[in-house]
Amino acid sequence: MLVRKDLTVLRRSPLLLGALLAYPVVIALLVGLVAGYASSKPRVAFVDEDDVPPVVDIAGHSFHVQTIIDQVARNVTLVRMDAAEASCELASGKVVATITVPQGFVDALETTSESPSLVLRTGTGAVAPRVTEQVQALVYQLNRKLQNVFITANLRFVRLLLQGGGGSFLGHSFTVIGLGRTEQLLAGMPRSKRVQAIEHFVADAKVGLAQTGTALQATAHPIELRQPKANGRSWVLSAQVQSYGIALTVTFLALLLAAGATAAERDEGTVARLRRGLLSAWRLVAAKTALAAVVGVVLGLAIAIVFGIVVEAGGVAGGEPWVRLPLLVVGVALGAAAVGAAGVALGAVAREGRTASLLAVLVVLPVVFLGLVPRGAFAFAWWLSELLPFAHAVRFISAALYDASPWRTLGIETLWLVGIGAVLAGLARLSMRTLSA
Amino acid sequence: MTVLLRAVRVARRFGSVAALAPTDVDLASGEIVALVGPNGAGKSTLLAVLAGALEPSEGTIDAQVRVGWVPQRPAHYARLSARENLELFARFEGVRDPAAAAGGLLERFSLPTEPRPSGELSVGNRQRLNVALSLLAEPRVLLLDEPTAALDPGQRRRVWDVVGALRDEGGAVCFATQNLEELEHADRVLVLLDGHVVDATPEEVFR
Repeated sequence: MLVRKDLTVLRRSPLLLGALLAYPVVIALLVGLVAGYASSKPRVAFVDEDDVPPVVDIAGHSFHVQTIIDQVARNVTLVRMDAAEASCELASGKVVATITVPQGFVDALETTSESPSLVLRTGTGAVAPRVTEQVQALVYQLNRKLQNVFITANLRFVRLLLQGGGGSFLGHSFTVIGLGRTEQLLAGMPRSKRVQAIEHFVADAKVGLAQTGTALQATAHPIELRQPKANGRSWVLSAQVQSYGIALTVTFLALLLAAGATAAERDEGTVARLRRGLLSAWRLVAAKTALAAVVGVVLGLAIAIVFGIVVEAGGVAGGEPWVRLPLLVVGVALGAAAVGAAGVALGAVAREGRTASLLAVLVVLPVVFLGLVPRGAFAFAWWLSELLPFAHAVRFISAALYDASPWRTLGIETLWLVGIGAVLAGLARLSMRTLSA
Repeated sequence: MTVLLRAVRVARRFGSVAALAPTDVDLASGEIVALVGPNGAGKSTLLAVLAGALEPSEGTIDAQVRVGWVPQRPAHYARLSARENLELFARFEGVRDPAAAAGGLLERFSLPTEPRPSGELSVGNRQRLNVALSLLAEPRVLLLDEPTAALDPGQRRRVWDVVGALRDEGGAVCFATQNLEELEHADRVLVLLDGHVVDATPEEVFR
């Protein structure tokens, strides 16, 4: 009855109702924007000071530079520009990094006389480490392809030594007779100890050089990293942002609403009427907690649905897993109820609507910030956040929406939220004495 | 006369402040008791303790019948209409037909029946709603805290009619007032001063 009354009162407060309806839409749009930004391609300047041709000939092999550039462009948006413009755009933040191909790059690559360099400059933004990783991956890929080319070229020289024939190196042509022809020449020579020694050397060299290809491949890639494709969901930034967005909104509103609704009972003098045997303190705590849970679920769902529509419309990676919405409802209800119980305690202690609202805002901010502290950063803060509902609500929502196998996490976080909620409800019950005094 | 409500050495402290010293009160069937005293004497505290709205710091209260309470400040939900308030509290009181009970009291106290938030009603209407809410459970003992403070003469008469009718039906009424003219409605007067029941006339404590 009291929950229904509170919902009726809420419906008749146009300003509050408007804020409650607009809040999830705004939060979801912001979350969608952040998620979209997080999964969008960073803009990177590409400065080609060497006029790299689309195809470069290295050790007799055609090397498709444009193909490699296209591969990089899958992860970042490469924009060709000159050095001055790139420097200017990096300084102004219009590009997050510049990749420069310096003069002489192709010559160094073709002659294989020295290692050519690419120059990477990054800004100081949050995306810079991501770009650095992607360019490092690019250079790794380039080196692998070049290694294969160089190994093939080296093996050609080895074959020349074995079989004989013509070749060229650094522009100089030459002819070698090869070990096979040497063996034939030695067979036609008068037998002597020296000839026999040379015949042994030629035979050993032929056996040794025949193994060169395998040995070169092995030394080029002592350990090769293979990444088999795994099934399941990917943990992307957009998922984290959405989980925090929902948990933050629900925590904020549930605390404020429960504190305000509880203090309002005293403001209107009705708590004294109710406490005359009409409604026990426990039922009053339960009613206000249920109000927070109901409104929290409605808002949490609204955010999730609007977010889902936004990310689908925007084609953002890591979007809304619609089938997981029922799990989200459970997490939001548990989180909102636990926070709501804390709100009831605050409202009872504050005893006056405006004080309760102010107190709730003052309390909710540190609770949320504590929940953002990583375990390794400041152990005490992390442990403190473990005793509050926010961090557990975030983990529950994250697991509910994006974990491939969420049940273990959901079970643990459910226990945490129920336990914390029970303790907070006990505190709220104790503070009810203050409210009705 | 049958004692309907008995309070034995009830006291109430707010922190270190003693709002009500240990006090004995009996309310018997068929009597109207007036509680008088200056501001801060402890009248509202005593009535709230007798009504069960405030836990006594010490002492016991024994009520054999249903007790109705009219707090000094109207206590109802401002965003609900008079009818909605009456129906909601009727449900809390366990009244069988909340709609009928609400309708009867709306008519008896001439309260507005349109779905207008009670917070937008006049002070007099809000006070009449306050009194009406206390009668939902058909109490045999009625405790009223300055019930006529915001009412016009016609509305005051209606309240005293309710009080008189309850006494005539064998109930008991205790009302707090600072208006000495209202003592004519009382069969007995309790004078409170600084949280103590004192042996003095009302005129003496207001002097």
